[in-house]
Amino acid sequence: MNLLTIEKLTKQFGGNTALNSIDLVIRPGEIHSLIGENGAGKSTLIKMITGVYQPSSGNIAWEGQTVQINSPKEAQNLGINVIHQDRQLVSYFTGLENLFLNHPYPKKKAWFGIDWKAMKREAQTLQEKWGMNLPLHLPVSAFAPAERTLLEILRTMMSESKLLILDEPTASLTDKESELLFSFIERLKLQGVAIIYISHRLEEVIRLSDRVTVLTGGKLTATLEQEQLSKELLISKMTGGQEIERKKQPQTNRKNNEALLKVRNLRTKDQTVSNVSFHLKKGEILGVYGLAGSGRTECMEAIYGLRKLESGTIWYQNQEITNASPQKSLGNGMVLIPENRHGDALIMKNTIRENMTLPILKSVTKHGIVQRNIEITKVQEEMKRFQLKAIHEDQPVSELSGGNQQKVVFAKGLLSNPDIYLCDEPTQAVDVMTRLEIHLFLKDQALQGKGIIYVSSDLHEILEVSDRVVVFSEGKTVAELDNAELQPNDILDICYRLQKEAL
Amino acid sequence: MKLNINTTTQPAKRVFFSKNMFSSYGTIIAGIGIILIFSLLSPASFATLDNFINITRQISFLVIIAIGATIVMSVNEFDLSIGAMASLGGVIAAKMAASGLPLILCLLVPIVTGLGIGFITGSIISKFKVLSFVTTLAMGTILGGFTFWFTGGSTIFENIPDSFKYIGTTNAAGIPLLSLIMLVLVFVFWFVMSQMSLGRRFYAIGGNEKASQVSGINIAMYKNIAFALSGMLAALTGALLASRLGSAHPTGGDGFFLNAYAAVFLGMTVIKSGVPNIMGTLFGAAIIGIMANGLTILEIPTFMQNVITGSIIIAALIIQKLGRDS
Repeated sequence: MNLLTIEKLTKQFGGNTALNSIDLVIRPGEIHSLIGENGAGKSTLIKMITGVYQPSSGNIAWEGQTVQINSPKEAQNLGINVIHQDRQLVSYFTGLENLFLNHPYPKKKAWFGIDWKAMKREAQTLQEKWGMNLPLHLPVSAFAPAERTLLEILRTMMSESKLLILDEPTASLTDKESELLFSFIERLKLQGVAIIYISHRLEEVIRLSDRVTVLTGGKLTATLEQEQLSKELLISKMTGGQEIERKKQPQTNRKNNEALLKVRNLRTKDQTVSNVSFHLKKGEILGVYGLAGSGRTECMEAIYGLRKLESGTIWYQNQEITNASPQKSLGNGMVLIPENRHGDALIMKNTIRENMTLPILKSVTKHGIVQRNIEITKVQEEMKRFQLKAIHEDQPVSELSGGNQQKVVFAKGLLSNPDIYLCDEPTQAVDVMTRLEIHLFLKDQALQGKGIIYVSSDLHEILEVSDRVVVFSEGKTVAELDNAELQPNDILDICYRLQKEAL
Repeated sequence: MKLNINTTTQPAKRVFFSKNMFSSYGTIIAGIGIILIFSLLSPASFATLDNFINITRQISFLVIIAIGATIVMSVNEFDLSIGAMASLGGVIAAKMAASGLPLILCLLVPIVTGLGIGFITGSIISKFKVLSFVTTLAMGTILGGFTFWFTGGSTIFENIPDSFKYIGTTNAAGIPLLSLIMLVLVFVFWFVMSQMSLGRRFYAIGGNEKASQVSGINIAMYKNIAFALSGMLAALTGALLASRLGSAHPTGGDGFFLNAYAAVFLGMTVIKSGVPNIMGTLFGAAIIGIMANGLTILEIPTFMQNVITGSIIIAALIIQKLGRDS
């Protein structure tokens, strides 16, 4: 009997289909990997299995019975546990206390005190059963990253766990630590626990998996058996296997070929960016691609002045920029369209007008007083240009749809009349029409001689809009490619090859 | 002039009857209710023009200090040192008056002192990114200690000339000068907060600090300004109180601190977006003042007054929360 059977599972958010009719079977005791680009629908699928989201349609069966999983707690009761990328541990509690975080502490009958001895005994038995030797008496803050992962896994074994979902478990682990984790995963498998393993690291996937399911753009592309697995095949499945349509007409105006922005050997204080060099020409769209954690966002923030630099140089039109700050960047004609729209770009309860004119408040102010008429005229012009769907300019942006909010962000950027746009995932969570409008807007801006950096984790989108592509990996720029004949495979090959070398 | 722009898909609707309205008008309705109840219970002493004018003078201190609290809260910070700052402002003014300095200096020196200390507090908070809640609490303790050292712990009342009491005790055309000063300050800071780019930036920082930073706003500078204004208004409150009483006690202003925040929070419930705002603060302070005045006229003991006032504030907060969650 299959442990988990998923039939025609679909999830829609508003008008967007995040997952489209997925069929998937998990057998007891198998290691089943789930791979796909960022945004392919992996986490949506996991969230439905663990009861965080409810499917829009489709069927989930657990041990042959159709079930409805309404909450993570219900999933746990069934025996489904998930280990998230970010640790769910209380760092100043000891390992022992964390182990019992979701469980009632054993009590001493006489006076309801905590029976620490019983706790230690129970934990020791569990450790022995799973062949672990964690220093449970220490606070978790003293644990190594791999030990924390193991502690979390051990915790799921406090109750009977039949399906364990591991989301990028090796992302923060060293090579050795990963080995420790792998041997433990093998042990779990021998005990009959099924595992859904999510990772960007294809070598791990090939080595561990009994089967691999590939998701692309919310659809299931393939489920492959162990003997079929090869990196080339996985990559070709992840990219949909087909060549993308190329628009042959010249996309942008790059005749001048003058460098607007140059960065060399950029390294941030927090080391999220360790060695980045590239240049942006006038009138081009420069695509920036990298897997999660490659330092793309951090690099944009560093250039804009939101993140402190340790070393490296930024030239803006052949003028060196020191001590970059958002004020300076805006003054130089550079705007950032941040990845996190709600957190970094918009003031949600303020109006469209207040949001749009924030960076250019000086230009609509006389003697310190905001000239509302001038302000309204400017804002209404932009609302027309971007075809913003809103009642009027004094509507709070929180009432707008995601796509229209992003238009406000772009209008706000345009109002400061920039020469350079740093766009970080500008089409994330926007509808198809808005996405197209944003592409057209940026191409038009490029034609007018502006320079655009376009960060996206959607490879097809990168290839669709970019003139050139810079590839990031582990905080470094590793390739700079002309996007004439580029195929998704070419870029993914680079990313995965480098990741292997890094291991 | 409202422009309808391309409403091809469903536009967001403006809802006209909802709990939201309750959050905007609930406090106002409650305020009117309170006035009606007091007027019915005590028509001869409460519902008179004299008493109304009296109330405006009584609340003037609270309103002025609460304007400062409003400004600091608009940048999403707290200044818990305003009470201690008011005490300090009071003793500085009284001490100077007692040594025979002219009234204008007795007001100006506390104002500049408050401005400076507020700016320093703000700089500590914005530079080291420490919590304003704790920092200003500590700063309040420092100021309190300084005030005691300055006064030797006793009230300053000897040798205070009548000229110093002028502002606190004079009426112009039947209206107390204190009430007029309050109204002018309310208007000025309402204008700053709602019509000037300074206020716009304060609210932007309070609404989303990171987004404001990305939009090129110098967060540290504007926070410093907010704390400086708050310190200035608190010190001025203390000086005006000293002028009214003709004396200054080293803890004379401390009691304003909690009521000032109560006024701001009440004021936040008056408008829909629930942000700190000057007119709301005036309204909140008025409710607190009217309650104190009316309950005293009705000879309700002080401890009971505290219970009732506290309950009304909690009720207003709950009403606002219900309105905002919908």
